[in-house]
Amino acid sequence: MKLYKLFVYTALIALTVVILVPVMWVVMASVKETAEHYGNPWALPTHIHWQNFVNAWTKANMGGYMLHSVAVTALALGILLVVALPAAYCLARFHFVGRKFLNICFMAGLFINVNYIVVPIYLMLSDGDKWLRSWLGSSFLLNNHLVVALVYAATALPFTIYLLTGYFSTLPHDFEEAAYIDGAGYGRTMVQILFPMAKPAIITVILFNFLSFWNEYIIIKTLVTDREQWTLPAGLLNLMQAQQSAAEYGSMYAGLVMVMVPVLVLYICVQKNLTEGMTVGGLKG
Amino acid sequence: MKRIGSLLLVCALVIGLFTGCRSNESKSGALKVAAIETAYGAQMWQEVCKAFTEQTGIEVELTTDKNLEDVISGPMQNGEYPDVVHLATGRPAGLTEQMIKQKALYPLDKVLESTVPGENKKVSEKIAGGFTDTSLTNPYGDGKTYLAPMFYSPCGLFYNQKLFTEKGWTVPTTWEEMWELGDKAKAEGIALFTYPTAGYFDAFFFALMYSIGGAAFFDKATHYAEGIWDSAEAKTVFSILDKLASYTHEKTPAQANNQDFTKNQLMVMQNEALFMPNGTWIVGEMAQAESTLTNEFAWGMTALPAVNSNGAGYSFCWFEQAWIPAGAESKEAAEQFIAFLYSDKACEIFANTPIQSESGTTVKSNAIQPVLGIADKLEGNNKLFFSIYDNGAKAAMGGFAAFKEIPGIDISTVFFQPIDSLVAGTLTIEEYVTNIKTASDQMRANLLQ
Amino acid sequence: MRARRTAFLWLCIAPAVVLFVIFMAIPTGNVFRLSLFQRSTFQPEETFVGLQNFRTLLQDKIFIRSMQNTLLLIVAVTLFTMGGALIFAGILTGQKLRGQNFFRVVFYIPNILSVVVISGIFSAIYDVDKGLLNSILQLFGHEGILWKGEQYVIASLIIAMVWQALGYYMVMYMAAMAAVPKSLYESAALDGAGGITQFFKITVPLIWTNIRTTLTFFIISTINMAFLFVSAMTGGGPNNASNVTLLYMYNQKNLGGGYGYAMAIGVVLFLVSFGLSALVNRFTRRETPQY
Repeated sequence: MKLYKLFVYTALIALTVVILVPVMWVVMASVKETAEHYGNPWALPTHIHWQNFVNAWTKANMGGYMLHSVAVTALALGILLVVALPAAYCLARFHFVGRKFLNICFMAGLFINVNYIVVPIYLMLSDGDKWLRSWLGSSFLLNNHLVVALVYAATALPFTIYLLTGYFSTLPHDFEEAAYIDGAGYGRTMVQILFPMAKPAIITVILFNFLSFWNEYIIIKTLVTDREQWTLPAGLLNLMQAQQSAAEYGSMYAGLVMVMVPVLVLYICVQKNLTEGMTVGGLKG
Repeated sequence: MKRIGSLLLVCALVIGLFTGCRSNESKSGALKVAAIETAYGAQMWQEVCKAFTEQTGIEVELTTDKNLEDVISGPMQNGEYPDVVHLATGRPAGLTEQMIKQKALYPLDKVLESTVPGENKKVSEKIAGGFTDTSLTNPYGDGKTYLAPMFYSPCGLFYNQKLFTEKGWTVPTTWEEMWELGDKAKAEGIALFTYPTAGYFDAFFFALMYSIGGAAFFDKATHYAEGIWDSAEAKTVFSILDKLASYTHEKTPAQANNQDFTKNQLMVMQNEALFMPNGTWIVGEMAQAESTLTNEFAWGMTALPAVNSNGAGYSFCWFEQAWIPAGAESKEAAEQFIAFLYSDKACEIFANTPIQSESGTTVKSNAIQPVLGIADKLEGNNKLFFSIYDNGAKAAMGGFAAFKEIPGIDISTVFFQPIDSLVAGTLTIEEYVTNIKTASDQMRANLLQ
Repeated sequence: MRARRTAFLWLCIAPAVVLFVIFMAIPTGNVFRLSLFQRSTFQPEETFVGLQNFRTLLQDKIFIRSMQNTLLLIVAVTLFTMGGALIFAGILTGQKLRGQNFFRVVFYIPNILSVVVISGIFSAIYDVDKGLLNSILQLFGHEGILWKGEQYVIASLIIAMVWQALGYYMVMYMAAMAAVPKSLYESAALDGAGGITQFFKITVPLIWTNIRTTLTFFIISTINMAFLFVSAMTGGGPNNASNVTLLYMYNQKNLGGGYGYAMAIGVVLFLVSFGLSALVNRFTRRETPQY
């Protein structure tokens, strides 16, 4: 039995090392000078070179990318909650014609990953822009962070609604009945009584979607053609793969840390909620 | 379905007009210039635009970006064209090729006949010989120039001069000497050859075709002439490629991707491999790495060796292109702008604009315009690189002829990317040639003429 | 009251339906519709070509290669991720271990990182001379491996993808396993059943519903993740050895196949992923034991 425990610990610690070492490595690389990146990648930095972060922030436009990341993520989360919460509530707690059909539709949406349909979304927006220009003389569908946020929110709807509907339907019906008797309307009952009760599910929804919005780079690269308006991951990938121009490793790794740190901090703060919400997370695309 | 989609979208997004609107409002009337930012930096374009405005009074609105395709292709698909685009063919995104394929370029014959603003010479008198009758500038073979030649850069094989001095080796001038050197180097644990990514074989392939069969063979081959890949010349091309693959450093294909290509370039600097095909931008691209080397190092560049001692070495001349989209709004101003790019003033700016590297040192932009007599004005590494043609090498120019979109077939996947597999030994030269023949048949059938 | 209820329902549900229709239903419909058309990158005209795009697909060697790679990745990544996650989850929930929570927190970390970050990390890990893996191999006197070379590139992708996904599914199975009543294990132990028997006879059957759901959706997720990993790590190279179908579809606008051809690839991908999900769903149907 002792031997077994030893084996278990060895396995666990090995896995921990395998996960933590690469993550630490990025942090270490981010304070190396550019020249050091051509040497042994596992050598410790000769000194802490904070300049990388300054360079990344100003010269490599990471500051701007960070701002866009925050804006797009916040906007998308806002839209998603405003749209998904009431819909999920109604789908879970009211019986009406078409409810079953809607539930099936949203369920079917779980099988459509956004990257499967990013090309037709792009074409639709581009056609829309053309049409708009011929009518209004200007266009606003592509290169628009609000549209990107809408796409993020819309494509996160099936998962979010599925998760929230599941939670809402577990709550007892007495609460609404009591509220109606007190004279509260549908809206007030929903917002003031049911939403607070669904807090654990809402937190889970926010966390999962925050992660996927924050780390996303295909949609933003496709729907926003102006590189200056990209978010952190897209900007970073661009920095990593640009050819025929001086390679800037220092800024690149500093940028990687900038993408990574906010999610790590958030994760450490809320890891309990996140892992508690896990039983329903199996459907995450 | 499309229309309903757009309609619904508009309804849903009317709010977007007021809140999230981020349409690029352009200064009306300004000439819209879009230029790719490469190792030359973006600063020189700003300077040139300023000089152009001073000369002609025409305002310029400039867009520069390292991945210009990502920035302009979206608006272009929506009919929002820049007036002048500086973007070469041969980029992975292939935007310029698409424009050629779709005949969406405006002819430049008026530009060539016009006088350079502020000077009294015609544009055609300033551009160096041969540059305006290649298949890259006259893609349809109708004698008309559609793309203006910009920033030429001789491509060749790059190597470490210091290593050759140290070992007492001479740079080979024929392929025979090349293989001999390869064996000598192998004995010392150095591979003869490497390449950054398979895409870099374009210039190499073109120069090789020129050196073996001259312009006549090159022309036929780049137009996918029937039976051309069975000709004696083609057989020589393929046998050299095959042999070269066996002399290539085995690490190369594993690092020949966008993320790791600098590692291949580093192998030449660190004496792990002798030669690689590349362009003059390599100096700036790897400047940071140079300071970390533990060995003696200085860039050297040579033309592709000749087939035999009677033949000539060839160096492919890479040049970029500027063009006017057929959909541009201010075509006349665009024509003036392109003419101005060949003025002494512009050449000076392109060559000598200081750019800041990340480490804080200042270097010159070094973009060299293909005008007569420019090599005399250069110094240092550049004098070496750009005088390659003065030292006996012949210039190879041009490229594959454009064809209509064919699903599943493009130049790079057919001709260059399989070289990765040749080196790894997972593809035989016979299979490689068979694939090229099949694809060539389709390309020929879809030629744009 | 009836009218107000209807109005309320409309107000609540309509925005979600509108968003869903515009950004999911219509684009999905367009994937299928456009696959029958030819539409080139810079000319919006659509020409009906029937099944031409699909016929071309069957001849397209790169497409076939990318499909093989996709399927291989699905099978391998699913096997290793799910197997590993189940085993580690079983170990962690099976007994009282010090630092259980710490392990749980750490194992989850790769899942919250952007694929862009992970590709940067693995570029250093797979470095031929000084990479982490080859340094270890050389320590044991083994020759270094060309991780991103043709022979190993798929294995390298599998490692990176399992590294990213393992913790996520492990934590999820742990949550499910925590719900299994302790008394079951106790009585099994009394009957003399060992840890491994308990795991297969009690744990796995009782969380079978979870396993089944995750498996079904893991296929779609893997197709997508493979696209993200390949586009960031290798771009599909060398010589398309690591190309995957979703990347090949996405790249069509640069490769000159046009949007119609891209959408034909999309249709095949849709059908394959639906088909596989349905198959998995069908063949994993079991009675959930009552307790």
